[in-house]
Amino acid sequence: MREWVKLLILVAVFLAFYLVPIDVAVVTASISAGLILLQEYARLHVLTCLVPAFFIAGTIAVYVKKDAVMKLLGPTTKKYIAYPVGSVSGGILAVCSCTILPLFTGIYKRGAGIGPAVAFLFTGPAINVTAILLTGSVLGWDFAVGRLIAAMVISIIAGLLMSFVFREHDRKTTDNGFATGLESDVPYSNLTVAFFFILQLAVLVIFGLAIDPSLKAILVILLVLIIAGIVIFTFRKEHTMEWFRETWNLTKKIMPYLFVGVFIAGTIETLIPREVITRLVGENSLPANAVASTFGAFMYFATLTEVPIVQKLIGLGMGRGPALTLFLTGNALSLPSMIVLFKVMGKKQASVYILTIMSLSVIAGWLFGEVA
Amino acid sequence: MTIKVLGPGCMNCKTLERRTVEVLAELNLKADVQKVEDLDSIVGYGVMRTPGLVIDDKVVWQGGVPTKEKIKELLESVPAGRTAS
Repeated sequence: MREWVKLLILVAVFLAFYLVPIDVAVVTASISAGLILLQEYARLHVLTCLVPAFFIAGTIAVYVKKDAVMKLLGPTTKKYIAYPVGSVSGGILAVCSCTILPLFTGIYKRGAGIGPAVAFLFTGPAINVTAILLTGSVLGWDFAVGRLIAAMVISIIAGLLMSFVFREHDRKTTDNGFATGLESDVPYSNLTVAFFFILQLAVLVIFGLAIDPSLKAILVILLVLIIAGIVIFTFRKEHTMEWFRETWNLTKKIMPYLFVGVFIAGTIETLIPREVITRLVGENSLPANAVASTFGAFMYFATLTEVPIVQKLIGLGMGRGPALTLFLTGNALSLPSMIVLFKVMGKKQASVYILTIMSLSVIAGWLFGEVA
Repeated sequence: MTIKVLGPGCMNCKTLERRTVEVLAELNLKADVQKVEDLDSIVGYGVMRTPGLVIDDKVVWQGGVPTKEKIKELLESVPAGRTAS
């Protein structure tokens, strides 16, 4: 962060404290609404969803063999393999948002071409594993699955469209591929890693089940013991340390923003009049979805903060269709990310990409609102 | 010896850079450690999964932060005549 940015933030915070009339009823109400939502998250979602989710994301970062996935996005891969792989690889390869752009550039310029690269670029932020799990925990699993499937389908359609529109720009030679085969992959069998992954997912799922609390506790303790057993007896210590480090890094990076996001989400409940939300995005119409899509595309949401925001917007009367649309464009696009895209892809490609994502999200959200 | 740390500037890339410098100090090696942040140059090495480590223009690591022992190993795998300083 540059020094003048820090100064600006400090001045903004100072002015807020200086000027805001804290004792006015609406301000007091919104502050307490923010605190109430924070407590709800602390009590219902932090231990039972976020902590396991961060460990799961750490597992993906350390134990999944990414070289194998990268090979499937190489220059000689058949298109019908590269597109589906591109559409799911976002959730596997890019746990950290800063790795998305090098991967995109690489797949575009040296790998399977612009189509699969675009599929990857969209799903990278959109199907982030912690975001999907938190969505399920807060808003229900129909939303989480809808978000996942819509993102994958959109990414493939957008990829196909992009590679059709820019077919003459796509690279034709298959000269130099990726640097693969380096020793950075872990030496465990896929089965072990999959089992390890499923055990952690099971912890999270059991936390969410409506069963007898003591039975729940026994099951969770049992699973944690098996996980600990695998960690102690099967995995090497250096990899376990990496797992903890990745998990901790993610937690450090995400939690502060999430808490601020949750607080802000709580305050909007009292600050935005209900009528505004119901009029703009209350029904599942195409205009309502278009409003949600545009808002999501320009607004920047720090990772996971889109969940409390959408939760409160739904509370204010937002329809389910526009809510899903907001999820789809909210993470994948923002004003800062658009600027980066213009630099990396060029003006024409970036504009087509942004418009494609925005309109496909409208359609997907509308369909979700009609079906669910 | 020229060492390049490839990565657009995230936490992992900084960790790798720091560990590399520490290992160099422990081994008493002198090397020119550079940070490469430009996407096209990074991809030019065939590295997509940052961070990556390049020793004397050869990619020796990518896709995660290696342990210090591993970095030691990677540094020592470079032909002996070139590491002496």
